[in-house]
Amino acid sequence: MSVAMGQKPFVVITYETTESNKTGSWRFLKPRYQDKQSPCSAGCPAGEDIGMIEMLARQGLFNEAWEMILRENPLPGVCGRVCFHPCESVCNRKDFDSPIAVHTLERFLADTAAGKGLATTPQKLPKRNQRIAVIGAGPAGLSAAWFLSMLGYPCDIFEALPEAGGILRWGIPEYRLPLAVLQSEIARIRSQGVHILTKKAVSSESFHELRRSYSAVFLGCGHAHGAPLGIAGETPESVKDGLDFLRRARQGERPLCDGFSVVIGGGNTAVDVARTITMSGGNAAILYRRRREDMPAFGDEIAMALEEGVGLEELVAPSAIECHDGRLRLLLRKMKIKGRDKDGRGRIVFDGKKTVKKVVDHIFAATGATAAELWYSPPLAQRGVIGFSHCVLLLEEGGAPVIYGGDLTNEAKNVAQAIASGKQAAMVLDTYFERGIDEIKPRLEACVVGDGPALSMEAYLGGPRGLRSSHLVQYAEINTDYFQNETRVTQPRLAVEDRSRSVNEIELPITAETALRESGRCFNCGLCDECDNCYVFCPDAAVIRGQHMENRHINYDYCKGCGVCFTECPRHAVIMGEEGS
Amino acid sequence: MRLDADEREFMCSGHAACPGCGAVIALRIFTKAMGENTILVIPASCTGVIVGVYPQSVMRIPVVHAPMPAGASVASGLRAALDMRGDTDTTVVAWAGDGGTFDIGFQALSGAVERNEDFIYVCYDNEAYMNTGIQCSSSTPYGAWTTTTPGQDWKRLRKKNIVEALVAHRIPYVATANIAFPEDLVRKVKKAKSIKGSKFLHIFASCPPGWRIPSEISVKTARMAVQANIFPLYEVEDGVRYTINYKGKQRPVQDYFEVQGRFSHLTAEDFEQIQKMVEEDWELLQRKAGDQAADACIQSSSAKRAIKPNKVF
Repeated sequence: MSVAMGQKPFVVITYETTESNKTGSWRFLKPRYQDKQSPCSAGCPAGEDIGMIEMLARQGLFNEAWEMILRENPLPGVCGRVCFHPCESVCNRKDFDSPIAVHTLERFLADTAAGKGLATTPQKLPKRNQRIAVIGAGPAGLSAAWFLSMLGYPCDIFEALPEAGGILRWGIPEYRLPLAVLQSEIARIRSQGVHILTKKAVSSESFHELRRSYSAVFLGCGHAHGAPLGIAGETPESVKDGLDFLRRARQGERPLCDGFSVVIGGGNTAVDVARTITMSGGNAAILYRRRREDMPAFGDEIAMALEEGVGLEELVAPSAIECHDGRLRLLLRKMKIKGRDKDGRGRIVFDGKKTVKKVVDHIFAATGATAAELWYSPPLAQRGVIGFSHCVLLLEEGGAPVIYGGDLTNEAKNVAQAIASGKQAAMVLDTYFERGIDEIKPRLEACVVGDGPALSMEAYLGGPRGLRSSHLVQYAEINTDYFQNETRVTQPRLAVEDRSRSVNEIELPITAETALRESGRCFNCGLCDECDNCYVFCPDAAVIRGQHMENRHINYDYCKGCGVCFTECPRHAVIMGEEGS
Repeated sequence: MRLDADEREFMCSGHAACPGCGAVIALRIFTKAMGENTILVIPASCTGVIVGVYPQSVMRIPVVHAPMPAGASVASGLRAALDMRGDTDTTVVAWAGDGGTFDIGFQALSGAVERNEDFIYVCYDNEAYMNTGIQCSSSTPYGAWTTTTPGQDWKRLRKKNIVEALVAHRIPYVATANIAFPEDLVRKVKKAKSIKGSKFLHIFASCPPGWRIPSEISVKTARMAVQANIFPLYEVEDGVRYTINYKGKQRPVQDYFEVQGRFSHLTAEDFEQIQKMVEEDWELLQRKAGDQAADACIQSSSAKRAIKPNKVF
């Protein structure tokens, strides 16, 4: 057939698109965006939103990241330095290469904010009528006051010593936690409207007075009283309290460091005492009844102590002290490992009758501490006493409610637990005042991060964090094809020779570039970071989002439920569920 | 990942591709990288059916359906017609499956690229005649089950190396790409678009029903082929300059085979043999890319002027 000039040949031409075919009807599994819980956040007693913090840090939004920490933790500069960072030991990245250096980044964000003189204005609820008295300006008291004031309650903190900070001010050496860092954190808490009254010791009488004049009292006096060794020959002269030694050093006294000192214990206090002595030119050794790997002190601190010349003797337990030519003779029994304890550490037993003798000049006990006064501790279970994961509430006739927190109510005695108890106490009191006693437990349960017991203040305040699923993301759920092996940041430190006779901080700051790289290693488990993989791979062009990645959603008219978005999401922020569920 | 591609969609939703279809993922990313001045020539294939069953069309750019053997010929003709009209902005793309490229369309393709026709020829490779019911093609890999190589008569022949066949034509640009590496795919598409003459893109695209895989691992499976060096990502310029584009995470071939039902009959010995075959091919490719040759040059004589890797072959 010939075609005349100017006349189009006959061609079959389509004239409509396929958009009238609603292929969504094929679907039997439905993808959904769902943010979940990262194990680090659940592992953090303070419940910090770590996955989100690292996401912001990676984008260079350091201020926003810092503000995000403050929503859950008033002391990022402190925790970035002295927290035992349980977040890192549960980090999913440990199964890939090594965990994110969460504490290093936290410190970087806090230092950066402090360096810029940033002030923050956290969300603060309208002022309430109830005034709260807080006893003790340690980490627990400071946190309780911070969160209570966030919830609108005016707070007065009563502190016996001339400065606030508690163990942070008096029990941790300056080379680990510089005074300026602590002071800037406390200044921020003050600027929130919290009154800190120093040199105001509370006695058991004035405590009852406070219960009459305030609507509630938070008791966070800590365990500041060194526990004795309980061995023959022990006197206040022969055995000195490790915590007291650290306190004197922080007050500016020259540490006692002539001759040879031994420190008995395996926690951070023991290591701090021994390092302080060595750095001041003395000679010290740590004696521990278990092994190095069983020591509760931080591994890095122990390693640095040994580097600096501190001795360590494992599997020895003190049994008696005798005087010996003006010196002290310490009798030690040898221990050995036999089986395992409930906590997984080796169980120790006496190694027959083997003993060792050591002639020393000073003996320091750092084997734990107790409350200085009997009334500090919460009463035993009885009517009106309600126990929570981190604090204890006492309700009784004739006095305002008392809530106990910090070391007084936590098995593990550390800063993060203290912060957790302060936060929980604030939530407990707020719910008690607002909704009554029966509402406390259900309301706390709604704010649990992952499988708990960490609580989120953001969730409590009705923030978007509360909408996340409680599912804790596992390593197997991360699509590691999108991540490259990258070495964890090495903590920069002062050289050993530069550490002695100096109060300079030993751990050095990292650069912004390093912080960007380290936060970029984070999987951000369970959190959508708008990576756009779901959009890129969708075979049905059914992922819809704006040009600036806003309003991401799935067009269920066409989504066939293939699940490619679910598999290709690097962070497990998409789930597949049965249609209609 | 964010793609350096057009924000607009040139594919409509509502198409009839199976859930998780790799060919459609390839086509969607490809067209976003090409932009709107593109004409697609599609010979008989899965995509032919997906893209347009009269009176509907999936594409928002012109598509010309072509007979199965004639993809490259129709593309040549279209190019000539556009040239006659003085239209140099429009790019002609032939989009064919492995059947329409390796087997039925090969004669037309070889002829067209020998003439160095100015088009991009894309072979999206799902390793069998999937549209007609999973029949074996010369792209079907060693070890695979298809409906024409069933039961114990699985394919015991190697997959045809189509890239080398095209390289032998000495055309300006030949590259492999994979739906699991969209950034690499977009870069190669843009590069192909900027070059005059015949360009050949070999895009690996999984087929959930044909490969007997669940649709959600469609992209993951395609990625494993690269990680196991079964489908290396590389490009060849002017038939001589080889560049390998992926040298990341590696996996044994077994990882790739184990997730697919079409290989479920293979034994440990088979895996071992396939691993050897893959390693042989990979070493050959590395030699062509000059990786080892270059090393050898440096070791043998640092004083001599270094021989450029591309001169080795």
